[in-house]
Amino acid sequence: MRSRGRLRRRSAITGYALLAPSLFGVVCFLLLPVLVVLWLSFQSWDLIGPITFVGLDNYQSVLSDGVFGNSLLVTLIFVALVVPIQTLIGLGAATLLTRGLPGSAWFRTIYVLPWICAPLALGVVWKWILAPTDGALNTLLGQRVEWLSDPALALPAVAAVVIWTNVGYVTLFFMAGLLNIPGQILEAARIDGAGAVQMFWHIKLPLLRPTMFFVLVTTVISAFQVFDQVYALTQGGPARSTDVVAARIYYEAFDAFDLGRAAVMAVVLLVILVVITLAQQLYFRRRVTYEMD
Amino acid sequence: MKWTRFSSTAAVYLVLVLGALFTLGPFLLSILTAFKTREQFAQQSALSWPDPFTLDNFALLLTGPAQFGRAIVVTVLAAVLILVGQLICSILAAYAFARVDFPGRQVLFWVYLSTLMIPPVVLVVPLYLMMTEAGLRNSFWSLVLPFAFASPYAIFLLREYFRGIPQELIDAARLDGANTLDVLVEIVVPLSRPIIATLTLITIVSHWNSFMWPLVVTTGTDWRVVTVATASLQSQFNGNWTLVMAATTLALVPLLVLFLLFQRSFVRSITISGSA
Repeated sequence: MRSRGRLRRRSAITGYALLAPSLFGVVCFLLLPVLVVLWLSFQSWDLIGPITFVGLDNYQSVLSDGVFGNSLLVTLIFVALVVPIQTLIGLGAATLLTRGLPGSAWFRTIYVLPWICAPLALGVVWKWILAPTDGALNTLLGQRVEWLSDPALALPAVAAVVIWTNVGYVTLFFMAGLLNIPGQILEAARIDGAGAVQMFWHIKLPLLRPTMFFVLVTTVISAFQVFDQVYALTQGGPARSTDVVAARIYYEAFDAFDLGRAAVMAVVLLVILVVITLAQQLYFRRRVTYEMD
Repeated sequence: MKWTRFSSTAAVYLVLVLGALFTLGPFLLSILTAFKTREQFAQQSALSWPDPFTLDNFALLLTGPAQFGRAIVVTVLAAVLILVGQLICSILAAYAFARVDFPGRQVLFWVYLSTLMIPPVVLVVPLYLMMTEAGLRNSFWSLVLPFAFASPYAIFLLREYFRGIPQELIDAARLDGANTLDVLVEIVVPLSRPIIATLTLITIVSHWNSFMWPLVVTTGTDWRVVTVATASLQSQFNGNWTLVMAATTLALVPLLVLFLLFQRSFVRSITISGSA
């Protein structure tokens, strides 16, 4: 009995000793910053002067001046453009790449290249490609289109660059999903006389549901946080037409030097993304139990 | 029947090739332009072959005031330190969660997992304040410290992997007098090479590419990383696209080479982690 107690104590000490360094990291650089950003959202700070308590002033100013409202709207439109289009293209590419044609692995490798590269560097390359006078695209088209300085075109242009970056990632997951579908099911459907289109809509797509769900959730969450490409391509302009939330937080903090307002925006973004994550968890759990029934 | 089959295969290849060209185009344009003179860039089409072929853009980047060489060294050092720190801390924690019985294990694991919901963008402002207060703003350590201790995702993946290691192996080593660290170094780590390789790739790639945090926490050229140097070059030499494309080429090509060398692990690591 006594030695069992000692063993338990020893194993508790071992456990916490092993955990200590990572616990330090999780507390200091993940949990504490969340508390700090909450605290900072009630303070006023311009990076140089003292930090002073201002109550709900920052919340009032952020929620009333329309700049942040615009950023939320821009971000929603951006997500609504990027996610469905890249999902469709990725699904299409994956369907073509899982037909067993020789060379499929090579195409897959090529498509995924932009995903592993620095979004900032690719954004800069596209900035040149889309440049009005000496840009590669306009030279090719033979006409001058203001891709990034026309307020109507800038957001779709940024979205297109992000879609170009992400398609390979989406493709990869749909390929894995499609290859996971048991051959017997497809064979049975073929014997029953299902054509390629029917096969896709009634067999493959429903079986891809978990993959689809995963892809949608991860890409929605990452699209909500887009920053690098926006910074490289438009810096939030023209006329705030590409001023997504992450860019707004950055400019509010390090351009307008209003850390309190930036903290409020960060808190709102945190709440939105946590709600999305929790909602998908709940939904996913329900779905899984349904399918088990 | 045969003819439609052939033509549909041809159509599939046509779409795939067009997609590949569209994907590779920007990379090729960046690399081609990086080797051109400004004169050629101004006079000829973007698709022209570099003639004369010049290394001047790279020379100017590496030796000029942009200090790109220094940026590369800083980026690599930071990524390697983050990698080593993260691997050590995550392996220790994952082993504790997988194989050591201690009070609070479930709760702590749940806390670790829940931090995965925190979007990195949200952390930038508070971390900046914390680094300023600690007197570490615009230092090498401000690039490394926030990421060097642990990655909850790495811990999660490693724990799953460690749980698959047969307990008998560990018990046998224990009977031979091995302590926990011996077990980790001699059994657990060697058996977990694939997942460690995957995590290595993910960490190196994500920190070579990382931009927002280094942009915020460093000023001037001392501790600039490659992405920040590229961005500031673009705003500084707006229009000098041959120089800027040399910078993007330097930022992109190391990862392309890494990717082609470790293609399989990369593809696996993306599908495992959902990120890269």
